[in-house]
Amino acid sequence: MTTRRRITDPVEQLAQRVAERVVELVLSVLDVNALLAQVDVNALLARVDVAALLNRVDLNAVLAQVDIGALLDRVDINDVLQRVDVDALVEHTDLGAVIARSSGGVATEALDAGRSMSVGLDQFIDRWVQRALRRKHPAPSAPRALLDGEAAQ
Amino acid sequence: MTAPAPARAVTAQGHYAGAVSRFLAFVIDLLASTGVFALALAGISYAAQIVSGAQIHWDRQDIVVVVLFVAWEFFYFGYSWAVSGRTFGMAVLGVQVVRADGAAAEPRRGVVRALVFPLSFLLFGLGFLGILVQRERRALHDLIAGTAVVYAWDARAARLRFLAREAESGARPGDASPLTGDAQAAPER
Repeated sequence: MTTRRRITDPVEQLAQRVAERVVELVLSVLDVNALLAQVDVNALLARVDVAALLNRVDLNAVLAQVDIGALLDRVDINDVLQRVDVDALVEHTDLGAVIARSSGGVATEALDAGRSMSVGLDQFIDRWVQRALRRKHPAPSAPRALLDGEAAQ
Repeated sequence: MTAPAPARAVTAQGHYAGAVSRFLAFVIDLLASTGVFALALAGISYAAQIVSGAQIHWDRQDIVVVVLFVAWEFFYFGYSWAVSGRTFGMAVLGVQVVRADGAAAEPRRGVVRALVFPLSFLLFGLGFLGILVQRERRALHDLIAGTAVVYAWDARAARLRFLAREAESGARPGDASPLTGDAQAAPER
């Protein structure tokens, strides 16, 4: 038994070294990217039972490892808020009703309407004046400081 | 009463105010200041009658009344522009006097603007023509005082109020007003 082990051990080591060398050689010759390109990942994923996979994951343990503070530090809240469609939010949620009930009455409504209409008329007249004057370059729409502020928003 | 969605007005905030807004603001100011002046004269007459028993009749042709009226108008416009950059009428229409570069106007500019304001009336009001044809919509008194007039009201809040009312009434904003249609296509700030 002892003699047999003595003989087989070097052979096994040799075989292992040969196998490792062969794998290295194969990998150096093989184009892994080309190989992966031939793999249908979608088909592969279709065979994966994600639900079963998730059942095996302890999400609480994963979340416990997440540093929410650091994560939030990396989030630009202003940028996120800029993407919120406030108009749609007001139109399609109870927020609109809350605003409608809490803000303004008939006077505010009339004031908003009057101001909006006067702005519309201003722009209507301005368009015709610009056409009549046949300006090659459009006139500035706002003072420089206010335009810069607009750009910064 | 259904207000138009002021989406167009939202994008126009900070832009040079046009002739209609400025003219309406001036009309409101003229009515308000003249009304206050007339009330003040009536008050003086009433007080004089109580104190001395004598009745004072104010005549519009009287030079004293004219001088008082001109001084009052100068005070009304000059003080308003110097303190807040807007008169009562301008506040109603949501426009404001700023420095030509867009910064807040210093009080002295408000005073100078009020002093040279009558110049725009000369030559059949040609000084006001700048509001229509000048590139920055500045009248003669704006050019002299180094000021401009811009839209400065919370159109964003007004638009939200409008949308909220529409949402509550269940109507679509696009049906409400011709102002709404292309206004909604305009990019919003």
